[in-house]
Amino acid sequence: MRQIGRLTPGFFLCLYPNLFRMLDALRQYISGFVSLTNEEFASLADMLVIRSFEKKELLIREGEVENYLNFLVKGLARKYFYKDKAEIITQIAREGELINSSASFLSGTPSPYLVETIEPSTFLSITRQQLEKLYENSPRIERLGRIAITHLFLQREEWEHECLRLDTRERFLHFVQNNPDLMQRVPQKFLASYLNMKPETFSRLKHLLQRPRATVREK
Amino acid sequence: MGKQKSSYKTALDGLHHYLSRYLPLSKAEFQLLLPYLEIREYDKKVKVTREGEVERYFNIVARGLVRKYLSVRGGEQTIQLAVEGHIIHSELSFFYRTPSNSVVETIEPTVFLSISYDSLEQLYEQFPRIERLGRLIVTDLFVKKDLHYFDQLRKSTRERFLDYIRTHSHMLQRVPQKYLASYLNIKPETFSRLKHLIQQKKG
Repeated sequence: MRQIGRLTPGFFLCLYPNLFRMLDALRQYISGFVSLTNEEFASLADMLVIRSFEKKELLIREGEVENYLNFLVKGLARKYFYKDKAEIITQIAREGELINSSASFLSGTPSPYLVETIEPSTFLSITRQQLEKLYENSPRIERLGRIAITHLFLQREEWEHECLRLDTRERFLHFVQNNPDLMQRVPQKFLASYLNMKPETFSRLKHLLQRPRATVREK
Repeated sequence: MGKQKSSYKTALDGLHHYLSRYLPLSKAEFQLLLPYLEIREYDKKVKVTREGEVERYFNIVARGLVRKYLSVRGGEQTIQLAVEGHIIHSELSFFYRTPSNSVVETIEPTVFLSISYDSLEQLYEQFPRIERLGRLIVTDLFVKKDLHYFDQLRKSTRERFLDYIRTHSHMLQRVPQKYLASYLNIKPETFSRLKHLIQQKKG
């Protein structure tokens, strides 16, 4: 992992010519929740660090307390835990999404999850302490926090509803329709684990998908 | 009437206490919230929020017992059971302003302290401290939800049952067995068998 300090000094622009694009992506993401003034966004950008990882590098291990909230600007990462010796994946994040051991970050308790990159990845990260400072100083950033956490909660709720309402095949189709990009980028065994199905089942369903449509309908 | 009034007072004191666990609120600050609250009373087995309706309220149970369920392949899948002090409503519908795919229904006669979507937005606009309170509450809800989700994935049916019995023995007395079984995602037969096992152990 390579960690670059705070973002403000212009010097870092030489190292990260994409910095403006990265910050734009973050601003875009935030604008889905609240609109911040330039000053408010700058106060947030001031607190960020850029963190770069190779592929298959761990951001956090089981048992550690999560200290970072990470916005993925480039790459692909997954969150998982061990059930006996099997990895159970609970999140796969791509560009423009947040990933960390969220409950550990929010509660300060040890993480049962690991977060690991799948591809080489770059994150805009903020520590818990810095985020708390922002909340103290800006009611609108506090609002951003409330709304972003509410969304985390709702995403989880939606996922639970899906798991209960849809059977294995429906869950697979729903995922494929909504995430064609991940089908290309993510190893099949990870996708199968995320969808809570055996790799064989995943292969079989994928095979079904590739046959002419009429054949799929017969099923 | 007098009796009812005093039970509202108890409920409001309970709410003040509940909120103060997240952020200390003075009596005066708490008083500011009161105009935004509604007291809503329901008989048992009444649908408070129906499928397809947009959820208007955020509810805290002041008295009673309520469940939330999804219609799944002709059956009902219970996804939440709430007693005094718990929050229950159709969250996805409330926050996204979309038709609800879950149903909120009372099991016992129930009194809610409720706040409408518009009132909640007004409160957030007017009082930055309420914004903080909201953030702290939703953080806690998320952390609990994550823990619950993690347990669901990691634990066996038997472990889930035993954990629940250990931590929610009061629910066993109040909630019909079929709802508990559905909530724990266990077949009613399995639930009976496990319950029987526990009683044998005790004896």
